[in-house]
Amino acid sequence: MNILHFLGSAWSFEPWVILFALALFGAYTLLPGSRLNRKSLLFSSGVMLMVIALVSPLDHLGRNYLFSAHMVQHILLLLVIPLMLLSGIPEAAAERALNSPYAGGLIKFLGNPVPAWLLGVGSMWVWHMPSLHDIVMANEGLYIAQQISFVLIGVIFWWPVFAPVKTARLSPLPAALYLASACLGCSILGMLITFAGAGLYTAYANPADSAGILSYIRNELCITPGVDQQIGGLTMWVPGCLIYLAASMVTVARWYASPEPGSVNTCTAESEVTTDLKLKEATERE
Amino acid sequence: MSSRIPLVPENAAPLPSLKENNGLLAWVASVDHKQIGIMYLIITLVYFLLGGLEALLIRIQLAHPGNDFLTPEMYNQLFTMHGTTMIFFVVMPFLIGVGVYLLPLMIGARDMAFPRLNALSFWLFFFGGILLYYSFFTQSGAPDVGWFAYSPLSEKPFSLNKGPTYWALGLLASGIGSVASGLNNVVTILTMRTPGMTMRRIPLFVWMIFVTSLLLIFVIPIITAAFAMMLLDSLLGATFFTPAHGGSAILWQHFFWGFGHPEVYILILPAFGIISEVIPVFSRKPIYGYEFVAASTVAIGLLSLGVWAHHMFAVGLGNVANAYFSLASMLIAIPTGVKVLNWVATMWGGRINFATPMLFGTAFIIEFVIGGLTGVAIASVPIDWVVTDSYFIVAHFHYAIFGGSVFAIFAGVYYWFPKFTGRMLSETLGKWHFWLTVIGFNMTFFVQHFLGVMGMPRRTYTYHDMPYWGSMNLLSTIGALILGLSAIVFVWNILVSLRNGKPAGDNPWNAWTLEWATTSPPAVENFELVPPVRGRRPLWDLAHPDQPDEPGAKIV
Ligand code: HEM
Ligand SMILES: [Cu+2]
Repeated sequence: MNILHFLGSAWSFEPWVILFALALFGAYTLLPGSRLNRKSLLFSSGVMLMVIALVSPLDHLGRNYLFSAHMVQHILLLLVIPLMLLSGIPEAAAERALNSPYAGGLIKFLGNPVPAWLLGVGSMWVWHMPSLHDIVMANEGLYIAQQISFVLIGVIFWWPVFAPVKTARLSPLPAALYLASACLGCSILGMLITFAGAGLYTAYANPADSAGILSYIRNELCITPGVDQQIGGLTMWVPGCLIYLAASMVTVARWYASPEPGSVNTCTAESEVTTDLKLKEATERE
Repeated sequence: MSSRIPLVPENAAPLPSLKENNGLLAWVASVDHKQIGIMYLIITLVYFLLGGLEALLIRIQLAHPGNDFLTPEMYNQLFTMHGTTMIFFVVMPFLIGVGVYLLPLMIGARDMAFPRLNALSFWLFFFGGILLYYSFFTQSGAPDVGWFAYSPLSEKPFSLNKGPTYWALGLLASGIGSVASGLNNVVTILTMRTPGMTMRRIPLFVWMIFVTSLLLIFVIPIITAAFAMMLLDSLLGATFFTPAHGGSAILWQHFFWGFGHPEVYILILPAFGIISEVIPVFSRKPIYGYEFVAASTVAIGLLSLGVWAHHMFAVGLGNVANAYFSLASMLIAIPTGVKVLNWVATMWGGRINFATPMLFGTAFIIEFVIGGLTGVAIASVPIDWVVTDSYFIVAHFHYAIFGGSVFAIFAGVYYWFPKFTGRMLSETLGKWHFWLTVIGFNMTFFVQHFLGVMGMPRRTYTYHDMPYWGSMNLLSTIGALILGLSAIVFVWNILVSLRNGKPAGDNPWNAWTLEWATTSPPAVENFELVPPVRGRRPLWDLAHPDQPDEPGAKIV
């Protein structure tokens, strides 16, 4: 099959994707404080991008031919799209949700940095265990669950840093640490995948070639299974990590922009401390 | 009672003198950050001279083609020891030492957070160096496998002598000391700041030490683990890095450069810090873009963790991996480059005083830019394939480390010597030192770019008489001898000025950070009273109460 033809035809508007997107839109319009503005635009572009990531040839490639295509989709669904969705939620709605008895408690629990971090980094590690990945590729239901979990977990992961309600956010420096350590967590996995020998993900070793583009991929683009795995690993590692890093730079910038916390001064405090120290050392010496 | 060791002498008393009763013990047993800092500086000076001597021997051997001044074995030992010494026992401990001395003073504290840990770090470094150098006296001689100790060269059966074992042991010890220093610095900066000294007001030098310390904590353990594995291989017959028995030699390279590339930022970030202190003071302007310099350092630190494989372009990782690492490496040059613009913008329109610290500071900018540009060039894979393992690489990293870190170190020594000792270094000798260094340095290393492009390999004890190679190498050797002379002038300057230097007073440069608020040298207690801190330049605010740096920070 001709590659252009493939790019034109390999769109699969599966019902669950459309339903999921409609559900997101519907929920959004019900949110208090949602109106047509920059935020709702951001939210809708997020949903749109999600639909594209899930129905376009990228999805077809990722499911049938290329681990690297799967990884690009993964980064979009876990890191890029959720950030757009979260940033699109109106502050008033988030405020209301936080104050409601049940949802509020759940959000507060999941939005804690520890569970959020574990979910965000864990979803990278768990879904990429080679055996699990092969099972998921062969099972439609699991596949759908995986894609939806990426988006939801992504929103949870970004919550402590970009929650619409400022008070729910970590303060800037811990937030930078939160992101930098997540970057490290994903980098390590990326490194492992990059430098492990070829053939980690058997599903991609001998694709069924349903669309007839395998020879194009192998011979024209020169993407062997080994190269494919490397591109995938490196995609998780370098661009993936850069997203975390860029976000942590945003938090540092926020920190500089925020007003200086109480910079009161007492000239004597320090010398009192030091006399204490001196006394302590002097007594230890006795 | 008279035998009591003066561990905590009276405030305002000078540091203990060696001539006093028990003077030596008062140093060896000290946990005072200033004494420990000074000991770091003295020891690194000794290693600087040793490493320099080794370099001169190397250069003499290379002065003309086919020379037999050194045997190949001796040559291998010398270049290994030279690189190892300069990186691990000169630049790194100098920067740690100067940090240990200045951190508490700059943030208005009495000492480091963990004074005893501080002493432990120093002594681990001290004995690590002795372990390394002891190898010269063993039968099998010093390590001869390069400062990167690639396996399988560093493993049996290619290395049967004990040199690499001493190498790994010595670096293991000092490495553990470095991690401890990193922890100590981070905790000190986070917890010991005087009121008002918020993280957004700490001097940039402190910021740089902060990021460097985080790097130390993250990356030294990588190499420490690798050293342990290497020792297991050589002493207990394990085979982590020997492919013949199922190990992987490439794994060593990943470990080494996973540590090694961040390490070059450990060497350069504190140097950036020194420059960011010196340039504003001698331009009589606050630093341009404090926020940017600080935040971009965080970015550089994080990025530096992920680009190590640019040292492995020739290994055969595959085109895709090479391309990614190439791009990521070039990315890191952006925040670095903008920093240079920050310094230039600080100098722009300032009333520049070209005293020796500023001379070195200005030269730093120029030489470091050359090193950075060649860095970006070799981050491109095809260029690297041509020049890797040639003298072009030697030129690149000497411009980065000597033209960068060491020039900044000289700037720092001339700047803070008055604070350390109470006396100024001689400006006349300083100018001699500066010009000899600049001329010698560029003469030695600039031609190596050409030699490299013409194909002269590094790490080989001699070369054939190819056109121009002999004369360029001779030029390089003459440059090295000039550098040797400059080092003598430097040491002479220190010795003379210690005795007869002009008394410095508290703040000879009219600087603005807290270390200049106390006596020179600082009393044991550091400060009698810490001045109020309401901005980034406390001493400026103190002197100009009606035009403070930060609006609303008026001192009444
Ligand atoms: C602009 C940023 C920089 C880039 C893009 C860069 C790039 C590179 C590359 C690609 C190599 C490997 C060359 C080869 O072996 O074939 C290299 C080697 C080296 N670089 Fe840099 N570099 C940069 C800055 C620095 C700095 C700041 C330092 C030190 C302070 C440094 C120190 C070194 C050293 C020591 C080596 C040689 C290692 C060895 O093989 O023994 N570089 N650099
Ligand atoms: Cu590097």
